[in-house]
Amino acid sequence: MWIWQAFTGLLLLILLTLHMVFNHFVVEGGLRTYRDVVAYLSHPVVFTWEILFLVVVTAHALMGVRAILLDLGIGPGTDRWLKRGLTLLGLGIIGYGVWLSWWIRSRGA
Amino acid sequence: MKEAPRWKRASGWVDLRGRREGGLAFLLMRLTGIGLVIYLFIHLYVLRLLAQGPEAWDAFIAMAKSPLFLALDGLLILGILYHALNGVRVTLLGLGIGVPHQARLFWGVMALTLLVTAIAAYAIFTIAG
Amino acid sequence: MPTWQLRLLRGRPGGSPRLEIYRVELPAEAYLIDAVEKIWAEQDRSLLFRHACHHASCGACGVRVNGRERLMCITPLREFSPDRPIQVEPLRHFPWLGDLLVDVSPMMRRMAEVGFAIVRQDELTADRPLPEGIERITRFEDCIECGLCLSACPVMAADEAYLGPATLAAIERMLKEPRGGDTARLLTLADDPHGAWRCHSAMECTAVCPSNVDPASAIGRLRRRLIAERFRRWIGGGR
Repeated sequence: MWIWQAFTGLLLLILLTLHMVFNHFVVEGGLRTYRDVVAYLSHPVVFTWEILFLVVVTAHALMGVRAILLDLGIGPGTDRWLKRGLTLLGLGIIGYGVWLSWWIRSRGA
Repeated sequence: MKEAPRWKRASGWVDLRGRREGGLAFLLMRLTGIGLVIYLFIHLYVLRLLAQGPEAWDAFIAMAKSPLFLALDGLLILGILYHALNGVRVTLLGLGIGVPHQARLFWGVMALTLLVTAIAAYAIFTIAG
Repeated sequence: MPTWQLRLLRGRPGGSPRLEIYRVELPAEAYLIDAVEKIWAEQDRSLLFRHACHHASCGACGVRVNGRERLMCITPLREFSPDRPIQVEPLRHFPWLGDLLVDVSPMMRRMAEVGFAIVRQDELTADRPLPEGIERITRFEDCIECGLCLSACPVMAADEAYLGPATLAAIERMLKEPRGGDTARLLTLADDPHGAWRCHSAMECTAVCPSNVDPASAIGRLRRRLIAERFRRWIGGGR
């Protein structure tokens, strides 16, 4: 788990920097209007890396949550359920994100 | 070990009495981590406005350019930078690299965090202003 | 001769512990252990604390001094001012037995599980009889098993199943020089969510260690070894 947390963390250094720079710092006014978001996500490369970012950040965040919850004195039995719950939550978040991005993208077509 | 009640154990990692840079770095890492997870949820929830069409989103964008929101953006960047830079520090230390320099590395992380946050805050207010 | 103020944690399990002030006259060249022993000898014979060698070799007198883990025997009084009380409390993350005394057996059991016994050969030659009541000699070089690192570790506060810095450092040392020992067992012991991966690199173990064991670096080296082993298994087709 430590290895994955470190690995996703290092990936996030790149993905989050790109996310921040391209979504806010090179955009006029710092935030995109609806029309610009649609145009932005229509680009296949952008779409792919934003989805990749979503997956990696969700995994990193939920693994972090588990690490903290383990420190509340959670035993192996509860941990099994915790892992299942967090995996489900993670898949839910990713599903929601992919659906939303896809939907926004479809507005541009 | 066996006598400490669960609530006490749960709060043990927050206890900074007698601790130094390493313990402080660990505590800040956790706190920024918790903050960033909460932010991630809020962020994803807010993005649902995009599905509600241009009016909903563009109204939000206008509100997000208020000074209060921009200040919160600065806070967010502070948290991200600390978590990211200390993440690099902790990854190296966790592999046994640079342990004798861990305290200096921590102050380096702090200095770099504050410096880049200041630059980013300047950028935020000029871009949005 | 200056009069020192010591604020000691007093009490027994089951009761509510409280901090009590004691005054003791000692030269500035004395050490904290001298002050506590003098309080025991002259003021209160019921005071519980551990001590033995008086020179940082036995690891018995670990306590928290003003919140920080120290060995009383190498904590000079001249570090402090007579005007302000020196607060002395028992180590954390061990079962409390009363006053400044904790039960270190959970740590000792884990150290025994690692089975470290790196000693000079001449200490173990057959013609040298063991002292009465001693089954075998075990000594882990730098580590004096004082438990300061366990008390300082924030993960230890949270997870009682965590092997802890001293034990992980012992495993790492054993792996370096196994002398025919079972390295696979040690690697399995360390390669566990409550083993080497549980460390959050708060670095407090190395910061308080009075004996240069540097458990934080040892845990790092142990992780590198575990990663290398995994990689090897992976390439070797899951052997």
